[in-house]
Amino acid sequence: MKELVKKTLNILNAPDVQFGDVRVTVTDNENIFFERGFLKGAASEIASTSIGVRVLIGGTWGFASTSDLSSASIEKIVKEAVQNARLGARFKNSPIEYKPVDGIVASYHFDPIKDPFKIPLKEKVSYLGEIASKMGKLDGIVHSIVHTHFYKQYKVYGNTEGTLVDTTVYDARPSMMVAAADQNGFQTRAFPGHMPAQRGGFEVLEKLDFINNIDKIAEEAKELLTAPRVTEDQADIIINNGHLALQLHESVGHATEADRMFGMEISYAGKTFVKENMLGNFKYGSDLVNIYTDASDKRGIGYHPVDDDGIPSKRVDIIKNGVLVDLQTSRYTAAELGLEPSSNMMATHASEFPLIRMSNICIAPGKGSLADLIKDTENGYLLDYTKTWSIDDNRNNFQFTTEIGWKIENGEIKHIVKEPTYFGITKDFWNSCDRICGPEEWGFYGTFYCGKGEPGQVMHLSHGVAPMRFKNVKMLPGN
Amino acid sequence: MNDFIHKLESLMKEYSQYKFQFHFRIWKTEFLRFFRSMTNYNISKEITSAACTMYKGKKSYSFSVDDPTFDKIHKGIEDAIGIIDSLPEDPDYVDMDDDTSIAPETKVVNNIESLPLEKKIEILSSISEEAAKREFKIFGTFITNFVKGFVLNSNGVKKEFVTSPIMLDVKAVSDNNMVTVLESFGGPDPDKFNQNEFTDSLMKKVDMACLPVVDAPAGKYEVILSPAAIGEFIGYLMHGAHAATLDQGSSFFQDQLDKKIFPETINITDEPHNENLIPSSYSGSGRTLHDLPIVTNGVFKNFMVDNYYGNKLKMDKNGNEAGNLVMGNGDKTVDEMISSVKDGLYISKLHYMNFINPKDMTVTGLTRDGTFLIKDGKIVNVINNLRYTESIGRIIGAICEIERKRHALPSSENYGTFGISTSLMPHVKVKDFNITSSTETI
Repeated sequence: MKELVKKTLNILNAPDVQFGDVRVTVTDNENIFFERGFLKGAASEIASTSIGVRVLIGGTWGFASTSDLSSASIEKIVKEAVQNARLGARFKNSPIEYKPVDGIVASYHFDPIKDPFKIPLKEKVSYLGEIASKMGKLDGIVHSIVHTHFYKQYKVYGNTEGTLVDTTVYDARPSMMVAAADQNGFQTRAFPGHMPAQRGGFEVLEKLDFINNIDKIAEEAKELLTAPRVTEDQADIIINNGHLALQLHESVGHATEADRMFGMEISYAGKTFVKENMLGNFKYGSDLVNIYTDASDKRGIGYHPVDDDGIPSKRVDIIKNGVLVDLQTSRYTAAELGLEPSSNMMATHASEFPLIRMSNICIAPGKGSLADLIKDTENGYLLDYTKTWSIDDNRNNFQFTTEIGWKIENGEIKHIVKEPTYFGITKDFWNSCDRICGPEEWGFYGTFYCGKGEPGQVMHLSHGVAPMRFKNVKMLPGN
Repeated sequence: MNDFIHKLESLMKEYSQYKFQFHFRIWKTEFLRFFRSMTNYNISKEITSAACTMYKGKKSYSFSVDDPTFDKIHKGIEDAIGIIDSLPEDPDYVDMDDDTSIAPETKVVNNIESLPLEKKIEILSSISEEAAKREFKIFGTFITNFVKGFVLNSNGVKKEFVTSPIMLDVKAVSDNNMVTVLESFGGPDPDKFNQNEFTDSLMKKVDMACLPVVDAPAGKYEVILSPAAIGEFIGYLMHGAHAATLDQGSSFFQDQLDKKIFPETINITDEPHNENLIPSSYSGSGRTLHDLPIVTNGVFKNFMVDNYYGNKLKMDKNGNEAGNLVMGNGDKTVDEMISSVKDGLYISKLHYMNFINPKDMTVTGLTRDGTFLIKDGKIVNVINNLRYTESIGRIIGAICEIERKRHALPSSENYGTFGISTSLMPHVKVKDFNITSSTETI
């Protein structure tokens, strides 16, 4: 595939091509899905292959892709990409400038402990079937799902600056969910939560020990049907990792993507309240809040040696001691803002155009355990596991409901509450943080499904978080 | 394609101890994305893919291949044979679809050819010039797809389809304060795109967007929902009208069949062959689609039932998927509706809506692309985007006026093969709409 990329780059060398890159991806996906104890789907997509060509001509991008890797097909897409850029340049008011970057040659190939694509399907189905079977027999549970998605991608990226990088990654996304229902509602509990994806193979599923967590989530789902709701319209809340990763994702991750600032995502994903003049002075969070993007951390599924813009992976502080200091950028947006590109341009497959995407965006840990933090809380709630999420076009007004909450009184957990819902304005919320737990509580939480772009792409990425406490957060009291 | 179908039919005969369902699709897109009144990128993309589900009794296994050839599919089947016996049964599975009827043929023009990139750029340049006169820039997408494929199965289902939808979304954004308004066109026929009407309608909204911006406090409001906004609410309402959600215990319509749940003026149908909409001939399993009344005079009439859940729940199958929703019209003009509001809101579009509880249809979401304050029957201000927390069932139940005219609106699933569908919706007036907070931003 490397040779194919090099060969394609050679035919891109037209005099008016300012910059060009070529990507090839070969992707394997396997999904195994049980519902109410029975296998409902076992499906594979093996060696799904595509090639994409991106060219910058006259300050305008053109792109074309195909799943047909024949020479004739590749020549055709090169012509289409060039034609798209040349015609597109007729609708332009300022050209895209590209500051050159030195070429890089690198390789990264992740080896899972247990390659899921080498384990016979029968074994995987049997392992998950045992879990599903136990879930399907639970009293008071109206619905249950066990789903595991295994993923492998081989990728080659090359550009006209001499960069040539190939990578192989494996990710796994195991999840299970139970639902209880009565006349008054429908309550779910998922395990291990909304962001269960991790880098690795079958061992990711084994480590989660699903079988010994079934009874707990089933009991909680049933208890939630009759549990009280939050009664206060304002409360101190501790957000645990099973939900905090999404709070970070929605109200910091997306908000600090520079393409949103430029309106490049207005037509679908939206804008951001963050403006250029906030850099270096906007108090995004309290002094405790340090948030960074780190595509060089191999523990997260957002790791890459080089992004799809030819920028080597790096760690970049986004919020330092509460102040907004940088953004997630592409080469184009970084140059426009006078910043260094942050290595955040990625496409899901070679058939797609790269966008600014989160890689591993993390909150630096503070001190102490979750148990200590609960003890230190006089009156409030511990919230965990995302149920509903919603945030506005500018990433400023959010509202989240978690699957479950626990009332805390005088430093002790008292009882569960159902559908705890909190809302707020991004800046006020992050400034209300007064405690962050330490490294012992910190971990990566990943997703396969971060949607962005048109045509839409779903990206694999992760977040490093430790539980945090927020003071006087607005709550939606229930009846 | 016929040759390929024949080869697959011969494969089905060769492996007659199994049953097969094949989906084959050639998908092409010409996808122009623009921002700040200039090209962001143009994408030319072609994907050919095939998916096969193989059954042995109640056991099944699926696989998909890109750039499919007969040899690749043959190999996939050989691999599946080595797997399928080891899999457990699905006791709820009965059989694959057996509807062999063919939908009426519709003439399809390849809009990738009829609307080339040069023409798209010409249209956008013209709209951009009008917007610039008012200090607005345009952002959005101009998409033409061409999709051709078939569904084939061992029960004799052999359905070919071809479609070529167009979708144009233009957001005009103020250079001064980022106030945004949207105009859309979607459908199968480029001749129905009237550039002057489209531009005039967008500029009328731009003029509204030049009004001063104010904040609105949380509270209950009388609101006019645009066709796009009510269309989104009805789209979410349809979650509960799928037989799958009935089976899973999360349907809002459980035990409501033939009961009056909304005002008599509410009519909602799925009309796959409505001439104003992008036609949908067949369901995913190949069932030929027909008009399906879902709510008639306020009475819930039908669930959407696919082959699997039809067998499982012993319900009549229809295959409808809410891809062509039509809301019944009323007797008012939109101007009459606005003029009857003393103190309320006009909501153009919704954003990031999500269920809090699907069973009682409670959702939260936000407004976007133009939220306006109405005072004494006139639009007087732009309002910062707002958050609502509401039950969609309550919203539909609180509709008190419906527009006479209906508007064809495109929407897209955005992911995968960017399937574009259309719905036909009027403006509606709703009482006591529950705004729960302001976003403080436009």
